[in-house]
Amino acid sequence: MSKSKKLVIITVLFGIMLLSLYLAIYAGYKDLGFKLVKKAFNIGNDPDSLILNFLRYPRAFKAFIAGSCLALAGMFMQAVSKNPLAEPYITGISSGAGLGIVLSVLLFNSVNYSVFGFFGALISSAVVILFAGFSRFSITKLILIGLSVNIFFSSLISFIILVNPAKSYTMMLILSGGITANEIISDKILLTLFVVALVFAGIFIPKLNYLRLDSELLETNKGKKYLYTVVIIIAAAFLTSLSVFSAGILGFIGIIAPQISRMLFGQDYRWLFASNILLGSSLILLSDYIARTVIFPLQIPLGLVVAFIGAPVFVYFLTRKGDMFRD
Amino acid sequence: MIKVKDLYYSVENLTLFEGVNFDIPKGKLSVIIGPNGAGKTTMLKLIAGIIKPQKGEIISNCKELFYLPQRIKYPQGITLAEYIESYFYKNNWKWFLSGEEKTKIDEALSLMDLSDKKDVLIDNLSSGELQKANIALGIVSNSDIIMLDEPTANMDLVNRIKVLDFIKKLTEKGISIIVILHDINLSSVYGDWFLGFTKNHKVISEEKDKFFTPENLKEIFDIDFKVIKDNEDVHIQVLN
Repeated sequence: MSKSKKLVIITVLFGIMLLSLYLAIYAGYKDLGFKLVKKAFNIGNDPDSLILNFLRYPRAFKAFIAGSCLALAGMFMQAVSKNPLAEPYITGISSGAGLGIVLSVLLFNSVNYSVFGFFGALISSAVVILFAGFSRFSITKLILIGLSVNIFFSSLISFIILVNPAKSYTMMLILSGGITANEIISDKILLTLFVVALVFAGIFIPKLNYLRLDSELLETNKGKKYLYTVVIIIAAAFLTSLSVFSAGILGFIGIIAPQISRMLFGQDYRWLFASNILLGSSLILLSDYIARTVIFPLQIPLGLVVAFIGAPVFVYFLTRKGDMFRD
Repeated sequence: MIKVKDLYYSVENLTLFEGVNFDIPKGKLSVIIGPNGAGKTTMLKLIAGIIKPQKGEIISNCKELFYLPQRIKYPQGITLAEYIESYFYKNNWKWFLSGEEKTKIDEALSLMDLSDKKDVLIDNLSSGELQKANIALGIVSNSDIIMLDEPTANMDLVNRIKVLDFIKKLTEKGISIIVILHDINLSSVYGDWFLGFTKNHKVISEEKDKFFTPENLKEIFDIDFKVIKDNEDVHIQVLN
């Protein structure tokens, strides 16, 4: 595909992202419209600007972070493992985060469960990466260790939920994924972490264009191959942990956004970087808009909407351009 | 420039090399010959440093080494030029290649007779073209040793000859080539130096004239050959 065609697609994706952002912020039960854009920058005390500043903006901001982080992390994991089924949670993150969340509800009855989820994710991925690196590092080993850790923690999660029937509904609800506020880590810190992670990811994007070569062919430069691989896995784990902090555990997005991007752009990771940020954030922004409007005043857990929209969209792309996946 | 000293290597209970000593000269096209399972690929991996010998040592004083495995998996949805580009990102932290690097890609592609395929998706190239693309990758890698594991497998005779012509050209630039080939007659035309892997786990390392003798070939393949020498040319026939 020519460069100009790729530019057109990126522009379209950017447009979709802006549209999703508009829906997430200004549309919904309380349709605020563009007239409030100006007003929002000087915090007023009228209900509309309060809704914008304390509900809509933080929520859209976190949706954006969750979507782009998951899409990028998925792209990273698929790139280094050369496996289209590798997903961001593969390093034990989902169950580590889940255990953190469940424990916070159980022990502290906390509203800060996203912080617990964040640290649970970081700790479990650190454990998995360390175990995989103990003797000779290999991606397959990492995936299998991640799988084992996920199953181990999942059994703990199920056990905790089962023996605490009074809190099990809350636990299940939170585990389904959704955007929440907390009292410990401010949005400013989150933004800083996100920007740092994004810059770091950006620095390593050219390395993915090197790692796309045959893995045996890269063996003569073992040192570089494994250094880049491990750094990229750590970056992916951090990005995923950030997404857990922003919006809980959202399955599937880390596979569909990178795969659709790949069908659109091929394996040039510079284009995929932009495409994944735009596509991932759009999907979560749109899903969250639907999650909070469809059965208002109730909310559907975001994770369920992501799966509900994501799966058909993904299958559509697979039927159109799926022949790039050969057995 | 590559010195192998008292090398020992075995896989499970199968001994591949036992006290092997040989040299590979610099800037020459060296051909590895031997039956299946003799350890030809293993030797390439040993020299490349991908696997370590159980005993002995391999001394090579090269800056950069390129090893092309027999079977390669290709990335999808990128053009031939982009495929070659990949190698430059090994050391580059930039997002874009310099003009100089792009010129190097163009040169490598024209050397491999692939200039007109530059913007074709690699998914749509033939296996022969892909193999030439991989050799172009070896050229831009700026290696002083290029090792190719059966680069002419799956190729018709014309393309075999073309690829060997290209490879031979590289030695003129001072690059040492080590290549595994199965066609003895063709390798005798192009090779400068030969390594024959024998059934008693040794390696015969000789220049062309001394290498192609019925005794050596019998030792390697356990079959009787007739060797006809005509000035520079060597013809090898299987005796029934």
